[in-house]
Amino acid sequence: MSNSVHVYDARADHATVNAQSPLAYSFQRSGMPAPGEEGRAVVGERAFLGHLILRGGAIVLDEALREVLGIGLPGRPNSLTVDADGQRSVQWLSPDEWLLIVPGDETFGLETRLRAHLGGSHVAIVDVSAGQTLIELTGEAAHGVLMKSTVYDVDPHAFTVGKGVTTIFAKTSVILRRPDESRWELIVRRSFADYVYRWLLDAGEEYGIGVARESRHESQ
Amino acid sequence: MSQSALQPNRLAQGGQIDRTHALTFTFNGRSYTGHPGDTLASALLANGVDLVNRSFKYSRPRGIVAAGAEEPNAVVQLGATEATQVPNVRATQQALYDGLVACSTNGWPDAQRDIMRWVGKLGSPFMPPGFYYKTFMAPASMWMTYEKYIRKTAGLGRSPTQPDPDIYDHMHRHCDLLVVGAGPAGLSAALAAARAGARVILADEQEAMGGSLLDTRETLDDQPAAQWLKTTLAALVEHDNVTLLPRTTAHGYHDHHFVTLHERRTEHLGDSAPSQAGHRQSRSRLHRVRAGQVILATGAHERPLVYANNDVPGNLLAGAVSTYIRRYGVVPGQKLVLSTSNDHAYRAALDWQEAGREVAAIVDARTAPEGDLVAQAKAAGIRVITGSAVIEAKGAQRVSAARVAAIDVDAFTVTGKVETLECDTIASSGGYSPVIHLASHTGARPVWSDDIIGFVPTTVAGVTATGGAHGVYPLGEVLADGVEAGVNAATALGFAATVNDADLPRVAPRHEGPACALFQVPHEKATLRAPKQFVDLQNDVTAGAIEVATLEGFESIEHVKRYTAMGFGTDQGKLGNINGMAVAARCLGQSIPETGTTVFRPNYTPVTFGAVVGRHCRELFDPERYTPMQAWHVAQGAEFEDVGQWKRPWYYPQKRRTSEGEGLETMAEAVARECRAVREGVGILDASTLGKIDIQGADAREFLGRIYTNKWQKLAPGRVRYGLMCGDDGMVMDDGTTSCLAENHFLMTTTTGNAAPVLEWLELWHQTEWPELEVYFNSVTDHWATMTVTGPEARKLLTELTDIDLDREAFKFMDWREGHVAGVPARVFRISFTGELAFEINVQAHYAMHVWEALFAHGDKYNLTPYGTETMHVLRAEKGFIIVGQDTDGSVTPEDLGMYWAIGYDKPFPWVGKRALTRSDTRREGRKHLVGLKPKDASVVLEEGAPIVFDPKHAIPMPMAGHVTSSYYSPTLESGFALAVVKGGHQRLGESVYLPMADGRVHEAEIVGTQFVDPKGERQHV
Repeated sequence: MSNSVHVYDARADHATVNAQSPLAYSFQRSGMPAPGEEGRAVVGERAFLGHLILRGGAIVLDEALREVLGIGLPGRPNSLTVDADGQRSVQWLSPDEWLLIVPGDETFGLETRLRAHLGGSHVAIVDVSAGQTLIELTGEAAHGVLMKSTVYDVDPHAFTVGKGVTTIFAKTSVILRRPDESRWELIVRRSFADYVYRWLLDAGEEYGIGVARESRHESQ
Repeated sequence: MSQSALQPNRLAQGGQIDRTHALTFTFNGRSYTGHPGDTLASALLANGVDLVNRSFKYSRPRGIVAAGAEEPNAVVQLGATEATQVPNVRATQQALYDGLVACSTNGWPDAQRDIMRWVGKLGSPFMPPGFYYKTFMAPASMWMTYEKYIRKTAGLGRSPTQPDPDIYDHMHRHCDLLVVGAGPAGLSAALAAARAGARVILADEQEAMGGSLLDTRETLDDQPAAQWLKTTLAALVEHDNVTLLPRTTAHGYHDHHFVTLHERRTEHLGDSAPSQAGHRQSRSRLHRVRAGQVILATGAHERPLVYANNDVPGNLLAGAVSTYIRRYGVVPGQKLVLSTSNDHAYRAALDWQEAGREVAAIVDARTAPEGDLVAQAKAAGIRVITGSAVIEAKGAQRVSAARVAAIDVDAFTVTGKVETLECDTIASSGGYSPVIHLASHTGARPVWSDDIIGFVPTTVAGVTATGGAHGVYPLGEVLADGVEAGVNAATALGFAATVNDADLPRVAPRHEGPACALFQVPHEKATLRAPKQFVDLQNDVTAGAIEVATLEGFESIEHVKRYTAMGFGTDQGKLGNINGMAVAARCLGQSIPETGTTVFRPNYTPVTFGAVVGRHCRELFDPERYTPMQAWHVAQGAEFEDVGQWKRPWYYPQKRRTSEGEGLETMAEAVARECRAVREGVGILDASTLGKIDIQGADAREFLGRIYTNKWQKLAPGRVRYGLMCGDDGMVMDDGTTSCLAENHFLMTTTTGNAAPVLEWLELWHQTEWPELEVYFNSVTDHWATMTVTGPEARKLLTELTDIDLDREAFKFMDWREGHVAGVPARVFRISFTGELAFEINVQAHYAMHVWEALFAHGDKYNLTPYGTETMHVLRAEKGFIIVGQDTDGSVTPEDLGMYWAIGYDKPFPWVGKRALTRSDTRREGRKHLVGLKPKDASVVLEEGAPIVFDPKHAIPMPMAGHVTSSYYSPTLESGFALAVVKGGHQRLGESVYLPMADGRVHEAEIVGTQFVDPKGERQHV
């Protein structure tokens, strides 16, 4: 397997290389308004995470994941599993496609170990870490912001914790998920991130939306 | 000044208005006052304003007729400033606010002194039905002239000429049950379903929820209905599974219980949306609701009677009179005559009398009315004239009297002597029409019911009409009907729910006698000779016009509608359509159900464009896709070109360095400079927008061989190949390079615009035709940023930044290598779209700006020049490299392009499109071939798209031989040059073709090969 696919660590050393997250330009251009005092709607970017697309049969991938990462594939479509400390997650995207999100510096090691475990199985693992970003949306009005943005039913009773879907967001698409009671996560394509950010600020304006202070978008 | 002097028709008490606060407003330039709780209509009536508009066609004075959405006359232009103008506002639905400014929409120059009066008075014989068709059909060229004046006189309101200061938005909602209408039926239904646990949305178009309960005389549980209303609304608010949407009109039912609601969020507050806690809020909001079940509790509209001069101000609907008195504390006149066909309307006379004004008479078409309300009226001493009707109103600017006579409804004749009753107000009621509009939107046809003398809706599964909306009128029955609908809907949705009669409030029983079916009232004169009897007030359609239409042979109600324009106004004939059908039925000697019905279409009431558009406007109109270097491009002053949704730098105008003057370069200057930089030094292009697809799997290579026209079996890891992709019709659909990353791993590039379609194309063939092939495709377009460093100095520059051996033998043309660039892990591809030495650097997008800036930090000494898409186009065209979609148009095969070298005729598996290349059409002689064109005059840059002919002297129409696909000025060649498709072009090299231009010039050009610069391709190999 190792020779049949070209795998290399394309992540640079963030200590010496100035990395820019997908929202770096947007924060600079559109600003980072402070959230209203009640924090009714707060967005933040969780930048530089490792995003891996897994393609293949559920059984082999599930086995490999349990072995290597300690969590398995979600058992049902449109759902995700999250590990104990909430740092690693696997989400169903389509019948043979899952999104794995882990801390950025674990990405290459994880891919390597998964490939070693999977041997010659018919699977594909693709690093898309720089091709998308994770936007977090919190606060009591998050639900309202989403209702103005997506056709999907985001009523907390209908969109329960652990659910994750790929759906329409304004005029683009996002992966939308709810890892826990307090948070919504949007995974957006890098080139669309600015549009999504501007849309979120606009849709959230009536709720006093702001940007989480800890949003980290440049490595230096 | 006393209250009554200010508002002569305002009662001292009663109604749901706040008399402690006065609101000032302006109508047609005059200032008036009203109160919170008023609509513009109730405030106008309170102030004794009779005339609110001129009619559409005859310019007759018109007053307020109704109290709700069905109002045909009081359609006003709203807005205190030019930017906040709103046309088409029904005064009956516009809440009054302080500072409101409105004017009549019809009436030029104004409603009081209307220069079109002569048309109404004298000219009406010249405006028969079908007027527009008859008058303005010929000459067609004059229509524009006529139309200008007709528009001006018709006055359908006007749009603002300044940008709207407000914002509008959308909200997507999902619920188990959507209840439309919060009258007694809707409230009961919503509460019953909510108690069962269903997620309920209750929408109501009025300022306050309650519907008929807001002005009813009846009691619930022996209390005024308002008490039950308050309790019920409070109970609904208690349920967190209920969303109440007041001021929200359900204006369209679409498929699958998708209903659009228009919520007017701030239109009751002011001209423009006030900010809320310092934040903008939307003026109105479009809710896009997907419901499991829909209950239509939309009530009924009262039908006016059609009698002569029934349009003179002072003619109102009986129910509207009650509404104005009971809800707004306004009596719209001094002396009333009520003309009715039913019991229910009697309450208008009772309310009028209780308000302390005089009732001249109730004129009842029935010979022996006998209900409780009739008895009450008689007991109150009101004169009741039976077997009669108001046959004509007298008066010009305001009703002055009613002409009353005994009539024979069935024979349609006046049978008795006419009595003239002095009065200033005539209220009429011809019964009630269920509001079936939304049910009609489902596509289900309504059916006529003789029981209720009206159309009742049929509906699709999951949609239920309840209460007045399906012809149930007595309050007790309405409440029970609503509960039943709510319980049934909840049950259908899987909730446990039962009807509990104990939940229903007690309603005092009230006997109502049967109504009679009266629509058009007979007159002593025949319809065509009698004074005008209006059916459709908004579009000025009379009973006579409908009769004329039937006499002229129009039998289908749909034709009658179109011929007379009945129901074509913004009110969609809410008041008039049933009466019009009844008139047509009478003229045609058939019943109403035989005559048919009309179909209502969305929208129920007009919806502003702002609400339709929502936030999808201006800077949020469409996504703008950016590469990781966007900030740099902007900082450098790049001009951008839209490529799909991407913003790509088009060219980078610099400050002029020459004596040609100050300022920025023109596009031609910038492109010439950028071209020279690449041909002579080194340039850099942000190529991140190119589609990139990661392909993994044991059968990846086999799959490529089937999808591309050329061969892939022998491409070794480390090598790159150009690939051409055809549709199954054999026509070129995309091209790009694909690199062999490892034995089972490829990276395909696509054109910028085709990234998504190509991925879908691959998935389509894999999933439907070759699922046995072990291969996966994933988009990595956004993951990798791509920068092309190209030009003779490219190697020198890159050497300074990379650990990759760039030696021409170690790293050959069409190789790729892995290494670092500026400290960042990178793949570098030695491919060229310029014909020059070129390296395409791929790094993870996070680091793209770092690498890009590092290149510039080192590039100064080589005059590293950023270039945009325009220069890219010129450079590639000089090399004859095609752009799919520009040089091809879906009718071009690889052979037409002369790209035989990229066609694997002998591949073992027949690749997509191969068979199509054996069709007679793709094999025939004389197909258009891609060739180069060299204008004889080097200074000429041919027009892209210009037609090509072989014989310029041929008589027009000349046979077309092809067209120019790409054309530029080449700073390298110091000449214009072009690519073109020409019939049999590959066999015509060296021949001349001609391009006749619109201005009469004819350009001559020589057919040449497509490679203008370095035809041997040596420069990219250096």
